[in-house]
Amino acid sequence: MAQRKTERLMNLVFTLLATEQFLTKDQIRASIAEYREDSDAAFERKFERDKQELRELGIEIEVGSHDALGGVAGYRLLRSDVELPQIDLTVEEAAVIGLAGQLWDHAGMAQESRTALAKLKTIGNRFDPSAVRMIESRLTAHEPAFDDVFDATGRRMPIAFEYRARSTGESTTRHLEPWGMVSYRDHWYVGGYDRDRRAPRLFRLSRIVGDVRPHGRPGEYEVPEDADLKQVARALHPPAPEATAVLRIAAGRAHLLRRRATAVERIDPTADRVEVEYAVTGDLADEIAAHGPDVVVESPAELRDAVIARLRTLAGVSA
Amino acid sequence: MNPSLKQVVRMLAMVPYLQSNQGIPLAELAREFDIRPAQAQRELEVLMMTGWGEFHGELIDFDLTALEEEGVVHIRDAEFMPRPLRVSRSEASALMVALQTLRQSAAGDQAEIIDSALAKLAAAAGAAEAPAVDVVEPRGDPAVQEAVAEALARRRRLRIVYVNETRDEQTERVVDPHRAFTQAGHRYLSAWCHRAEGERLFRVDRIVAAQVLDEPATTEADSRSRLEDLFPADRDADSITVEVAPGADWLVEQYRMEVESEREDGTVVARMWGTDPDWIRRQVMRFAGRLRVVGPEEFVEQVRASARLALGAYDGVSPEQGV
Repeated sequence: MAQRKTERLMNLVFTLLATEQFLTKDQIRASIAEYREDSDAAFERKFERDKQELRELGIEIEVGSHDALGGVAGYRLLRSDVELPQIDLTVEEAAVIGLAGQLWDHAGMAQESRTALAKLKTIGNRFDPSAVRMIESRLTAHEPAFDDVFDATGRRMPIAFEYRARSTGESTTRHLEPWGMVSYRDHWYVGGYDRDRRAPRLFRLSRIVGDVRPHGRPGEYEVPEDADLKQVARALHPPAPEATAVLRIAAGRAHLLRRRATAVERIDPTADRVEVEYAVTGDLADEIAAHGPDVVVESPAELRDAVIARLRTLAGVSA
Repeated sequence: MNPSLKQVVRMLAMVPYLQSNQGIPLAELAREFDIRPAQAQRELEVLMMTGWGEFHGELIDFDLTALEEEGVVHIRDAEFMPRPLRVSRSEASALMVALQTLRQSAAGDQAEIIDSALAKLAAAAGAAEAPAVDVVEPRGDPAVQEAVAEALARRRRLRIVYVNETRDEQTERVVDPHRAFTQAGHRYLSAWCHRAEGERLFRVDRIVAAQVLDEPATTEADSRSRLEDLFPADRDADSITVEVAPGADWLVEQYRMEVESEREDGTVVARMWGTDPDWIRRQVMRFAGRLRVVGPEEFVEQVRASARLALGAYDGVSPEQGV
């Protein structure tokens, strides 16, 4: 079934590409076997759907007419509209695009990138990523919902999905107008207008359960100009340090903690008094506990207690 | 987009590509489109069923002898489609998101190059809209990040002060930067280390200070410098058995543990490797309550002893041992 459809869509594109004339629906039907074999009604449905699907692929079939058709609607693909215009990349531009093509660690996005590169190669461009050296990020997307959300965001299409609450683990149906996506620490988020809560919201893709369904038409809403997803995303960043801890660190130990020091004072040849700024008590307590006797908290008490609690767990002492 | 539509887009791209690459090996075609050779073979078979008409000469054809005997692809009767279609919106989006991500750490004139590449891609797609997709990169010391990017771009040596977490030591080294990449949320620099006289991988957030030197980097990249080398693959290193508490199972992936069993309450029993026993001990102690060592017995005892010693500094039982 799938292969028949693939063949049909390809034949439709090829048939329309091979002529500069408008072809009537009857002419198109006559030249593609599967259309011919269908009943009239089935053909009409299929043809409309095929045109729609090609449009979604960016292949817009032009509808028009000319005298010879006597006013009957005709269809064509104008080469100047659908063909790739000549684009000549410099060695450096090709290198960064080639590098970009290697960034995606996601089968779908990697294939999209490669197909685009193949098209650009076909018209004479050569790609040598080693011509530039820069920091190569890795773009990962493990979330099953990624493809559909990415697609909907690009087309401004409202979506509906089941969303699992972090606190209760229960799922509710949510309706969203996606404005944009953000990746932070290998997790994807989609932000937009939440139709249920009637306010901007951010959703974590890994908590979307099951399928993402269309909930409207592409282009149905506008993304507000002042929508600042980065602002929303900033909430994902580690909070700014607010507190200062005073630690005793054994000489030559705990270098990663010392890296963050705002002040270091030698106590004696075996130890230093080190001040570090921090935001989340638990995170710093984890790091301190890792060093066992090499790092001791002098203040504040809250941090000291958090470290002692961890050490008690590790020592097998009941609290 | 459903898979069969993606396939249509790919096969439409193959038709002109094959005409400008007559005689390309099937394996190379597959690599070019990031699909398996068997998939490429199937798609060629589908292409033979298509064309602008239904008669010989109107249907796309391949030199089947060359394909079967030499594994190379010669396309025929495809002249009706000499040029590829425009880069599709989703293809452009994939590349644009990647380019915008690269741009965040561009050095020198690289940002300008990326901007002109983005403009040409937009023209290739016939739509100038870049997708509203942002990748927030791991944050670090901006001065260090800039020095790394500049040394890479200008192919200069870099002097770094580096904290080796495994050995808990801080050292100064001169390196030839080869590649910098992000993986699993951290940024790494692979470089030739003149101090160790070998290819080394450095975590950029553990570079305390970096200075671009005037001397050119003279060594070339070693293909072995991969993240996988950070964690022993041969599994000859020391290992311990741990219990990972429910909800902390991300640790399994972070430390590339091997899961042995999973209990009904969600606790995972797994094997964890490390070349340095002190390093393993620090990781276990860092995740107190979430990771618990269950074996070997002497390691369990080491963790307990270290924690007791640390507690001593607070209880006043043995303060002289604390620090």
